[in-house]
Amino acid sequence: MTDDDDLRARLRRADPAASLEPASPAQVAHLVEEAMSSSTKKWALPVAAALVLIAGGAAWAVTRPSAPEPTPAVAVSSLPARVVELTTTGVQAKCREPQPEQLASSADFAFEGTVLMIDNGRVTLTVSRVYRGEAADEVAVAQAGDSSETMLGSGKFEKGRNYLVSSADGSVLICGYSGEADAIGLRDLYEAAF
Amino acid sequence: MDLVNVDSRRARFETLAPAVIDAVRRYLARRTDPATADDVLSETLLICWRRLDEMPAEHLPWAYGVARLCLANAERGQRRQFRLLARISRLDPPPQTVDGPAPADDDLAAALCRLRPEEAEILRLWAWEDLAPAGIAVVLGISANAASIRLHRAKEKLRKTMTASGHEESTEGSRP
Repeated sequence: MTDDDDLRARLRRADPAASLEPASPAQVAHLVEEAMSSSTKKWALPVAAALVLIAGGAAWAVTRPSAPEPTPAVAVSSLPARVVELTTTGVQAKCREPQPEQLASSADFAFEGTVLMIDNGRVTLTVSRVYRGEAADEVAVAQAGDSSETMLGSGKFEKGRNYLVSSADGSVLICGYSGEADAIGLRDLYEAAF
Repeated sequence: MDLVNVDSRRARFETLAPAVIDAVRRYLARRTDPATADDVLSETLLICWRRLDEMPAEHLPWAYGVARLCLANAERGQRRQFRLLARISRLDPPPQTVDGPAPADDDLAAALCRLRPEEAEILRLWAWEDLAPAGIAVVLGISANAASIRLHRAKEKLRKTMTASGHEESTEGSRP
C-alpha cells in the first residue's frame, strides 16, 4: 500500500492543475446562471437523425437484431411514404466505448456514403460501400437539431463530407457508432465489426 | 413542471454546482488548453443542469464522465482547425495560466507517455482526480471490477517503466 501511496504522491506532484486558482465566486455564479438560463433549444435536440432508405433495391427486409441496441438516441416512426418523423428523447451524454461486437450484433444496416445534399433537415447520402444490409444507392437521413454530442466528427452531417453510418430498425446508431469516415478509430471499428 | 419544482431544482443545482465547477475545471485544465476548457466546462454544466435528475449522489465521477465525452467531442470537432491553432499558438503563445509543478518530474512524464493512453488516463483519474476504482468506473463507463484491474495493471506498468528507464527513485520493494 505504501508503494501505491508513493506512486500517487509522485503523480500528484506532477499535477498540472495543482496551482490552478479556484474560480472566483463571480465566475461560478456566472457559469451557474448561464447553465440554468440556457434555453433548451440549442441543447435538447442535439441529435435527431433517422434513416430512410430510398434504396435502389426495393425493401431491404428489416432483420430485427435480437441484441439490444447500443444507444438508441432517437425514436422513429415511419410514415407510409417512407418519410421519417422524429421524436427526440434527448441524447445519452455518457456512452460506453464503442465495441465492434456490439456494432456487429446491433446494426442491421451499415454503409459508407458522401453527403450529396441537405435540404430542409433531410440529408441525402450517396452510398459508396455497404457494409451490411441490402445494397442501396442513396440513403436519406432526417437531421434535426444543430449537433449531436455523440456522433463522431463535427456532430452533424455536412455537405460533401464522407460518413460511416450504421443503423438498426431505421435508427442511426450514435454514441461512436456513426460519424465522419475519417474520425479516429471509426473505420477500424467498421472493419472489425463487418 | 410547476414553479415549486423549478425552484427546488434550481436550488439543488446552485448547491452542487460550485463543487462540480471546481472539480471539472481542474479535470479540464489537466487535459486541454484554456479556451477549450472554458467551452467544455460550460457545456458540461449545461448537461448537468439538463440531466440533474439523473445525477447520482456521487456526482463528481458522473460529471467527469460527462466532461470526458464533451471534451472528446470538442476535440474531434476541432480536428480540422487543429493544425492552424497549433501554428498560431507557436507564433503567438497564449499566456501561461497554469504554473507548472515546481520541479518537473521528467522520468514520470516520460514513463506516462510510454503507457497506452488509456492506462495513463486511469492513473490520472486515480492520482489527480483522487478517484477510487468505483469512481473511475463511472467516469469511463466500465465496471468497477474492470476499473480496479486496469488501475492495478497501470500502476504496475508505470512502476516497471520507470524502473526500466534506470532513473528509479527510492521505490524499494519494487520488482526486479
